[in-house]
Amino acid sequence: MTAVAFARSRPVRVFRLEIRHSPVLWAIPLLAALFLFDAFRTAAGFVPVWSVRASVITTAMIAEFGPLGAGLAAWVASREGRRKTGDLLETTVRPAWARQAAALGATLFWLLLAFGIGVAAVYADTARQATWGGPPVWPVVVGVVEVVTLAVIGFTAGTLVPGRFTAPLVAIGTFVASLVGFHAALKVKPGSSLSALLSPATAVPQGDAGVFYHVAPDVAIVQVMFMGGISVALLGVLVARSALYQVSYREFFSAVWRAGRWPFAAAAALLVVGVAASSTAFALTGTARLGVSGWNIPALHDAASDKPIPYTPDCAGTTFTVCVHPAFSAFLGSATAALQPVAAEIAGLPGAPVRAEEVDSGPAYRLGIGTVLLGSASPSILNGAITGTPPVYEYLADADIAPFWGSASIAASGDWRSGFEQEFLTAFAGKPGTFFPTPAQQAVITALMVAAGAENKATLTLHSASPALAFPQQDDSSGHPVGPSPAQIAAAAVRFGALSPAARHAWLAANLPALRAGTITLAQVP
Amino acid sequence: MNIELSELTRKFGRTVAVDQVSLDAGPGVLGLLGPNGAGKTSLLRMLATVLPPSSGSLRLLDRNPARPADRREVRRRLGYLPQNLGYYPSFTVADFVEYFALLKEIPPHLVPKAVATAIEKVDLGPKARARLRTLSGGMLRRVGIAQAIVNEPQLLLFDEPTAGLDPEQRVAFRALMRDLGQTATVIVSTHLVEDVGAACAEVALMAEGKIVFRGSPEELTVRGVGHGVGDAPLERGYSAVLASARTAS
Repeated sequence: MTAVAFARSRPVRVFRLEIRHSPVLWAIPLLAALFLFDAFRTAAGFVPVWSVRASVITTAMIAEFGPLGAGLAAWVASREGRRKTGDLLETTVRPAWARQAAALGATLFWLLLAFGIGVAAVYADTARQATWGGPPVWPVVVGVVEVVTLAVIGFTAGTLVPGRFTAPLVAIGTFVASLVGFHAALKVKPGSSLSALLSPATAVPQGDAGVFYHVAPDVAIVQVMFMGGISVALLGVLVARSALYQVSYREFFSAVWRAGRWPFAAAAALLVVGVAASSTAFALTGTARLGVSGWNIPALHDAASDKPIPYTPDCAGTTFTVCVHPAFSAFLGSATAALQPVAAEIAGLPGAPVRAEEVDSGPAYRLGIGTVLLGSASPSILNGAITGTPPVYEYLADADIAPFWGSASIAASGDWRSGFEQEFLTAFAGKPGTFFPTPAQQAVITALMVAAGAENKATLTLHSASPALAFPQQDDSSGHPVGPSPAQIAAAAVRFGALSPAARHAWLAANLPALRAGTITLAQVP
Repeated sequence: MNIELSELTRKFGRTVAVDQVSLDAGPGVLGLLGPNGAGKTSLLRMLATVLPPSSGSLRLLDRNPARPADRREVRRRLGYLPQNLGYYPSFTVADFVEYFALLKEIPPHLVPKAVATAIEKVDLGPKARARLRTLSGGMLRRVGIAQAIVNEPQLLLFDEPTAGLDPEQRVAFRALMRDLGQTATVIVSTHLVEDVGAACAEVALMAEGKIVFRGSPEELTVRGVGHGVGDAPLERGYSAVLASARTAS
């Protein structure tokens, strides 16, 4: 068949008629507005790392396109019932499933076209800013399959219950179901029920997702199997339903005979294949385990995705070198500007790092489930650490350089810079693994930050009646502050900062082990 | 014969809508008269292959519509206008008729001409690009007639086709029915006995699911002489036959 003959063929012409009259066209402005104000703006606020930006496809975009698409599909499917055209259409030659396929196809055509344009917009914006990597495919596949599945669910509901309230109820129902799945997915962790991995909407991955290691496609494959299975099974229901037009359950068997065996054989086959695919996907999620490339499903896992992705870091500086992963090249200038002055303050001291290097945050944090795994009591894992000989300050992309709402312009702000410096000096002067430095450590760190020119009027104000420090005031279990007040710590910091650089250096060289051990009191700070 | 019914029965639960109806019909226009609830619409829906009979035999265009392949062939040559025409408001007249032309599997290259011809026949040419939501009830009825005749059917089933048409359009439609009846079997279910008198060569009168009269309009008129109630001779024949059927039951 030539292209022209195909374009003029009967199914294509019916499809074109349906496309011209699809109600999805009327909803496109609403979809566009929702997309621009939510998904696109959310993605634009994320660090320009492909996997992080792509996460809006399965979260925000699905929340916008999925329920609305399901409602629109239900509206289209209920058309024959609402408009009372069933009898008339039943007398035509084309089987009901064929005209329903055209109506569903036209609905999906507009939905997927709009969805595709949205994905293209997110990816085009990311391509403009990203400095490393390329667009991931699996989030798009999962997003497309979920949009299709929700539309098929809506279409089936509209066919079976062709009332005017079906469409809004379907839209609300699918939105609530997506939210329930999302909240369950936020709590998933090894050892718990893993069925929530079937929800495409989950926590926003951390800044270095897909940077040091590939994102294993295992969970995406299972999600596609699960949702695709639902779609296929429901298509079987639609085929059977279309062959049983206006048949009561008493007439079921005579109607099956009347319709012929092929529609029912096809419907049964679709139902069996769909249920089998979804059941298999459900069972596979139970075998998932956390690996370096994220959630791995042994039956689907490719060990190649566990290998680190080779890269050459982008570095700056000679005496103190600051390196970032090339995915974060845009942050190199800010990172260097933040770390070099404070590194100079401690240069030559025992354990002072000669280099700062960005490292992988690990699979749990990459997936955004670190706090679920460890609880809020152990945030110190997010701090950088000084390791090796010569000492190297290793920091995490998400905690230090590019929080998920981060961008290169945010990284140039005073708040971002003082936070980075504070973590660097905490790793140097604090007790390893401790999130809250002692009051003496806080005073020393604060003084060194001020000496390096890091004083920020919003977060670090020493010379006032009620000084603001970069460190939070520690409270006891009943919420009462413990230890010295911020004013006392600020006074010690001012005192220490008033020393000459040589005097500060000498005091630190002599007292660093005790300071790190936490045995020096605030009063002992010179 | 294009229609052969033998003891055709349709039940809805315990209600017998069509009760052992036997009827043959060849080309020509057959008027189906009867009061509300007589079973006309159920009979028409069975003839339209929408509703399967509960018992009895039904052959349309020399085929058995109970068999899927035969039913498909019957539908290819069938035109149907239901009593309550459903339509899609956003469709234009041409789109709506084209939609049915395609669903009736008219060869694609013939569709544009078939659509234009059907629309012209119902005198809606100037409104071909108008959306259905903008049309009056009478115009919508003509759109329904256009979709029914777009495939040049050999079996045409009209359920109250002239409802909503103005007198001029009704006259034009009667002429169209006579024209169609030259080659096709046209069954017209109606309450309007003047339509039957003007356009139908034969009349069947239904009451309580049965056919209680079958003959020409003239024969029906004769039945009413000196007996029936009504303003016109045909109406008197109609009411006389009905009264007689009720007495017999």
